Parts: sequence; structure tokens; C-alpha cells
Amino acid sequence: MITVENLTRKFKDITAVENISFDIDESEIFSFLGPNGAGKTTTIRMLSTLISPDSGKITIDGKDTRSYGEYIREITGLLTESPGMYEKISAYDNLRYYSSFYNIPDNKRKDNIEKYLKMFDLWDRKDDLAGTYSKGMKQKLALSRALIHEPKILLLDEPTAGLDPESAHMVRNFIDSLKKEKTTVFLCTHNLEEASNLSDRVCIIKKKIIRIATLLELQSGDRGKRVEIVFRDDADRYVKLIEGISDIKNIQTDSNKAVLVIENPKITNPTVIKKLVDNGVKIIYFNQIKASLEEIYLDLIKGEEVK
Amino acid sequence: MKNAITIFKKEIKEIIKNKNIWLPILIITIIFSIAMPLGFILGSAPILEDEDTLNFINKVFGQVDDPLRVLIGFILKQLLIFLLIMPAMVPSLIAPASIIMEKENNTLEPLLATPVKTSELLMGKSLTALIPTFAISTINFIILIIVVDISAYIKLGYIPLPNAEWVIVALILSPILSFIITMASVIVSSRSTDIRSAQGVGAVIILPIYLIIGLQLAGLFLLNITYLLIGSLILLIVCPFVLRLAVKIFDRENILTKWKMKA
Repeated sequence: MITVENLTRKFKDITAVENISFDIDESEIFSFLGPNGAGKTTTIRMLSTLISPDSGKITIDGKDTRSYGEYIREITGLLTESPGMYEKISAYDNLRYYSSFYNIPDNKRKDNIEKYLKMFDLWDRKDDLAGTYSKGMKQKLALSRALIHEPKILLLDEPTAGLDPESAHMVRNFIDSLKKEKTTVFLCTHNLEEASNLSDRVCIIKKKIIRIATLLELQSGDRGKRVEIVFRDDADRYVKLIEGISDIKNIQTDSNKAVLVIENPKITNPTVIKKLVDNGVKIIYFNQIKASLEEIYLDLIKGEEVK
Repeated sequence: MKNAITIFKKEIKEIIKNKNIWLPILIITIIFSIAMPLGFILGSAPILEDEDTLNFINKVFGQVDDPLRVLIGFILKQLLIFLLIMPAMVPSLIAPASIIMEKENNTLEPLLATPVKTSELLMGKSLTALIPTFAISTINFIILIIVVDISAYIKLGYIPLPNAEWVIVALILSPILSFIITMASVIVSSRSTDIRSAQGVGAVIILPIYLIIGLQLAGLFLLNITYLLIGSLILLIVCPFVLRLAVKIFDRENILTKWKMKA
């Protein structure tokens, strides 16, 4: 659905993004993760045809963004970083105004305004001025605006920023539900939990792309090679039984818990368990530690800084 | 065109609610179209008792039979200039408010993400300034004519307006001037984040109007049809240049990367 090839964009002497390439499939949720100034907003602006790349190419729904800007804006919905509403007109009129620029019949437009205002619990206050809305309500109104024309592609810049936990949960569930409607979602977020719960794939960026992978692929990296064993009593009594296994690179203990770094867990884990059980050690549980996206992200970003 | 009209309709709704725009217009109308002409014409006879005034009339117009009629004719030339105040002031109040409110509310980016063309956006914003300006200037013109004619009829028993000079100002010079000021306001607004400073463009352009009034009062210059047509022609030549510049500034990428936005 979206193909980005060797995209570079500079602002005077500052490079915002450098030579980035990725593909996003139809109905995929693709998250863009990176620190402030990593080029996330620049990329989302290029995808939404608001700005042009200095070099490289973006193809959306088979069409080049440089030549088919109007078509692409018709099939995409953009949630900007700041919700941005006309404060002196009502929420309903805000949606009616923005939706009037899309090629949708009047009846459908009215139905969609009602549908999304109801979905985001704003219907009872539809006639209130947008300026009287709380930050969270404005964010939900902005999300309704991005969806009002039922776009094939949704470009979301921090969709849950400023929302209370309940609203954020509702928005996440809604984004997840878009998969069933075959909507492709490009999600820029700082919220790593959100990215890990929603995304099919994650792209970690800091001007250049550091890594694109599924969460599972990311977790199978070095941090995924850790095993935690919890014993009935002091772990130090038992670790000497397994110290000799060559595949174990490191052992750290803390009271009745030991964390092992194992080069090849699939082969070595059964050996470790057998050795301990054969020696009559009581194991409460044995668990492969899955790295959180946050840990992986911080590792990758730090690694990039070292470079 | 449909999108430009949609923009225009929404903007007008907002402007009607904005008393910072319509209140100055109302005050200026009352002062320049009602109070001043009434005061000038009805109070003109006692002025003629002043020797300096008579000397001034003699200096500018030579020996005249009916100094009161000549004085009122001279006053009408000053009031003629007041006709240009609305076309200069109204767009300089509306256009910056319309653009800078978009910046303050962060609404430009989501608007530009819709299929709307930037030419439609510029046209919508321009119509928002031009149509009320034309309407207000016309109303102002009609009020001024009625007030002048009634007071001149009471004072002299004749109806002096409308005359050719007034028609040229109302139908040719005013629309051209309001177009230039609209475009100038759009250009200035792109570089400003403060409504008041952007509205200053109107104040700057009004200055030459005061200069003409000053020159006329000093007896150094008198507006006539030729001067008005030459002025209109010069302003007409300026129009394509300001339009071209405004179109260049109203480019999607320019708006998002070069316009000065609120922090």
C-alpha cells in the first residue's frame, strides 16, 4: 500500500531524514518510533503530501506522491501532532467543514459525522464550541476528523497524547479494529507499549532507519537470550552445578533468583533443567525473559548514539 | 470554486462573531460617513466669516461668486478621500485575522491534508476579505451620499452627489485598492504570528491617503478625474505582482516550512 524508497529531506543544513526505505502492506499497522527530532513528523508530512522529499520516492496505492497529491489526500486521513480545531465554531461544524473537502455524498457525510461523534462520546456536546473542549476531547474530535471520509490509509501522529487512560484505551481498541476494515495505519508514537500492543511491525528511526521488524523478531535479539530461574531457596547454592555448561555466558544471582545469558537457549535450556533436576534441585519456575520493546528501543537508540 | 466558497462561508461566520473586526468598522462608518460630513457641511457657513478661509479659497480657486458653494465643493474632495478608508481598512482587518487565527488554532496542517487546492484556499481567504469590503464600502458610499445630499440641500438647496469623481473612486479605485491590500495582508500575515502587527499593513497604506488630504488642505494639490484615473491605472499595474507573490506564498510546502508559526 505504501512504498518508500531512499527518502531524504533536509531543511537548510539540517537533515531531517536520510535515505529511508520501507514498505507497508494493506491493513498493516506500522509504527514509527524514535526520539524527538528523529524525523517522524517530517516523514508523516511527506506521506501526506504536505511536503516533498529532496530525493527518493513515495508510492501510495500505486501512485507517486509528487504527481498524485490530490488523490492521495483523498484516500488518506491525517491526525496531526496538535489536534488543531476552529475554536469558535461547534465540534459538529468543524467536522462538517473539513469533510466538505472530500468527495463524499452529503448523506454519507452526515452519517459519518454522527457515527464518529457517537463513537468517541462527543455526540452530546456536538453543538458546543470546539474551544470549550478539553485536550482529550479535542484529540478525539481530531481523530474523528481524520476518519470522517473513511480513508484507506490513516496517518497518526501521537494519537493517544493527552488522552486519559480510558479514552486512550478506547482509541487503541479502535485502531486495532481498523485492521478488520482493511485500513492501513502508519502510527508515529512515543508510547512503546502502544506500539508493541498495536503494531504488526515497528520501525525504529533516528534520521536513518535503525531497524524494521516485528516485535517477535526484535525480542529474539540478544536480550531474548536470557533465562530466569527461581529456586525454592538461595540461588547461589545451585549455580555452581550449571557454571560448567559452556553455552552459558553469564550468571547473575539475587536471593533465590538466577538470570542466565545463554548463547543458544533452544539447545541449552533442556540441559540446564536436566542438570538441576538430576541433582534434586527444586525449581519454582524457569522462564525465558522476553525483552520489552522499551528495552530493545533504548538499546538500539543507544547503540546508534555510540556509532 | 466550491471549496473556495466553503472556506468563505465558514470564515464569514467566524468574522461576524469577532467584534474586534466589526466594531472598528462601525465606528469609522459613523465618524467618516455621518458625523464628519454633517459637521463640515452644516457648519461651513460660519467658517466663511474667517478671513483666512476666504484667503485660502481665493488662493486655490481664484475670485469666486459663491464662496459657500465652492467651500462645500472643496469639502467634498476631502470626503472623497474618506471613501478610500474602508477599502483600505476592512481587508487589513479581516485577512490577517483569518490567516493568523489558523496559525493560532493549528488548523492549517489538517486543512492542507485535505484535497483542497492552495489556490482555492487563497481564493476563499481573499473572498472573505474582498466581499465584505465591497459590501461595506458600497453601504458607506450610499450613506455618505445620502448624508451629503441631505445636508447640502438643507444648506444650499442643491444635491451635489454622486458626481463622476465619486463614481470613479467607488467603482474603480476602491475595488483595486482593496484587492492590493488583501494580497498585501496575506503576504504580511504569512510572516507574522500576531494579528495586531499584521493588521498594521492597513495603517501603512492609509498613510498616503492622509498625505493627499494634507496636500489638498495645504492648497498644493486638488484631486480631479485625471488624477483618479492615473492613480487607478498605477494600482492596477501593481495588482498582478501582489497576486503572484501571494500565490507563491500560498504553496503547501511554503506554508508548512517557511511561514512563521506560533511556538
